[in-house]
Amino acid sequence: MAQNHGLRILIATVRVPFVNGGAEIHAAGLCRALREAGHQAETIAIPFKWYPPERILDQMLACRLLDLSETVGVAVDRLIGLKFPAYLIPHPRKVIWLLHQHRQAYDLWQHPLSDLHPYPNGDDVRAAIHRADRELIPQALRVFANSRNVAGRLQTFCGVQAAPLYHPPQDAARFYARPAEDFLYFPSRINPSKRQDIVLEGLLQTRSQVKVYFSGPADEPAFERKCVALAQKKGCADRVQWLGPVSEEKKRDLYARSLGVLFPPVDEDYGYITLEAMLAHKPVITCTDSGGPLEFVVNRETGLVCEPAPQALAAAMDELWEDRELARRWGEAGRARYSDLRIDWATVLEKLLA
Amino acid sequence: MRVLILTSGVPFTRGGAEILAESLRDAVCAAGHQAEIVTLPFQSCPPSRVPEQMLACRLLDVTESCGMRIDRVIGLKFPAYLVPHPNKVIWMLHQHRTAYEFWDHPAAGDLIHYPDGQVVREAIHRADCTLLPEAKAIYTLSRNVSDRLRRCSGIDAEPLYNPPANALLFHNGPAGDYLFFPSRINSVKRQWLVIQALALCREPVRVYFAGEADNPAQQAECAKAQRELGLTNQVTWLGVVSEEQKCEWYANSLGVVFPPLDEDYGYVTLEAMLSSKPVITCADSGGPLEFVVHQHTGLVADASPQSLAGAMDALWADRRRAAALGEAGRERYLDLKISWENVVDKLLC
Repeated sequence: MAQNHGLRILIATVRVPFVNGGAEIHAAGLCRALREAGHQAETIAIPFKWYPPERILDQMLACRLLDLSETVGVAVDRLIGLKFPAYLIPHPRKVIWLLHQHRQAYDLWQHPLSDLHPYPNGDDVRAAIHRADRELIPQALRVFANSRNVAGRLQTFCGVQAAPLYHPPQDAARFYARPAEDFLYFPSRINPSKRQDIVLEGLLQTRSQVKVYFSGPADEPAFERKCVALAQKKGCADRVQWLGPVSEEKKRDLYARSLGVLFPPVDEDYGYITLEAMLAHKPVITCTDSGGPLEFVVNRETGLVCEPAPQALAAAMDELWEDRELARRWGEAGRARYSDLRIDWATVLEKLLA
Repeated sequence: MRVLILTSGVPFTRGGAEILAESLRDAVCAAGHQAEIVTLPFQSCPPSRVPEQMLACRLLDVTESCGMRIDRVIGLKFPAYLVPHPNKVIWMLHQHRTAYEFWDHPAAGDLIHYPDGQVVREAIHRADCTLLPEAKAIYTLSRNVSDRLRRCSGIDAEPLYNPPANALLFHNGPAGDYLFFPSRINSVKRQWLVIQALALCREPVRVYFAGEADNPAQQAECAKAQRELGLTNQVTWLGVVSEEQKCEWYANSLGVVFPPLDEDYGYVTLEAMLSSKPVITCADSGGPLEFVVHQHTGLVADASPQSLAGAMDALWADRRRAAALGEAGRERYLDLKISWENVVDKLLC
């Protein structure tokens, strides 16, 4: 019977059919943690398509029309909203844990990666999204954000306060460290927003013969071609390994054996990679505009924060490459910092269900 | 092909429809395609919620994902089958039953009790009549569902039978001293009818019920009836059982009781046949009547405690005959050539 199984909790998110990414891992991790804590939990994933822009309005309305307050006459005790527009679904006991808003209407408005502003009705749809977020997000009992970065954007654009609530990467307990070998590791989707290109350009300017291993699936053919061309340039070819998609086990092995981790994305919401590097006792090189990673990387204590430019990245890579003891110490400090931050599911549930 | 399966679900409730959607997804993938399930939450009470959710379905866009075409959608349940798509095929599990055959049913009807019930009923009828024909093809779960669709909406559709999940796990075993009734516990499956029948049995018939109640109140009602009729030893509630355990309970039963009200299809019938067990069902049970041949693979009783008690007594008293009916049921299953390959061929052609 229901009353013997803790709370009945629904997680509301959206899903782009056939696409699996961090948001799916996040929702699945939350659902598993709730169940392990003795609750009944299920995920509701509304299909989402953001183009042409008027479709966004339709889907916002669709979410407002859904009713998750009860099922077969038994109350749903809590709704946890994660992604736009699913977090707009009404519920009397809703908590929002914002992964991100519809970024193309906010920080990515007029960004080259965005496809909202070029449409004639882009402005109107953007205004409607802003209005909905401003009016409806505060209806939740409490609002948390995936990171301080996401909370900061919500404050800046909508004037809504949210507390950052960190969660561990998938299989956090399985990360480990091995003695550093001769490579820096850059695990990520090969995508312009992750900026593999500036690392490759940086490699051409290093003093030392720094080596970098890249892993991850390529999801933009043009960018992949650009990276491969850079990697084949003279002086770079024998210093780059292009591993493609790797298993989770292989990824943990590469983290463990690396000298340090490179993660210089553009304004990342959160960034599991930083946390995985810390769990593997490795220093992280990130950039001043990388967003989420900056909440974790302490410059010259657990890694290096540099300008998002090839030359600055080259200097950072040289520094780790040439001082292995320093790299080791910063990696250890990163692991200690991870523990201090109490990034675990028990803490997350305590906050979400308080 | 990239195939999306669209269905509606009540959160925290798992039954035949959820299993069917997952089996269909697996079968489509096994045929070399990509398939995913989209389950939209559905809340049928109060009735004013129903048109809102119909509208929500019409507002969704599943034509593409990240610029890549979704080649086919397969709609299973109301109102998810209303989601528009240029290449939609419907494999209807059922319409919104309380707007149709359950409208004025004393136990199952719900819309009828609300002031706006009639208006909502008409909106559902109109949506089905107007929007179902948007699909390229319409199939149904069973002859029973096809008949209702023709009667209520004037639409012809071919029934497309599918095997139960884990069909290969079912097997026969030595018949024990119980009849088996595996099902979600609710008023429409009519566990209560079996309990009333047990009170009238002349033989010391025992029934094992497996499955969880949709709502704690329904379980409590059944338990109360059991106490009041003094059926301590004749009734056992097994609760939720695993698939493996369920197969064993089938294998070691004398026969299966499955007397639901106008069931759409009913995996229980097929699982019993795969386990070589006779099935007792009722003349108004719907789907099971497409499979159970009276006095040949089981017994079809009237939906009254007396008639059902008579059928249970008959199986209990003649175990040899029970075994023979069960064997005939297994042969009938094989003759029907029910397979997922056939289902996938039809839905994707």
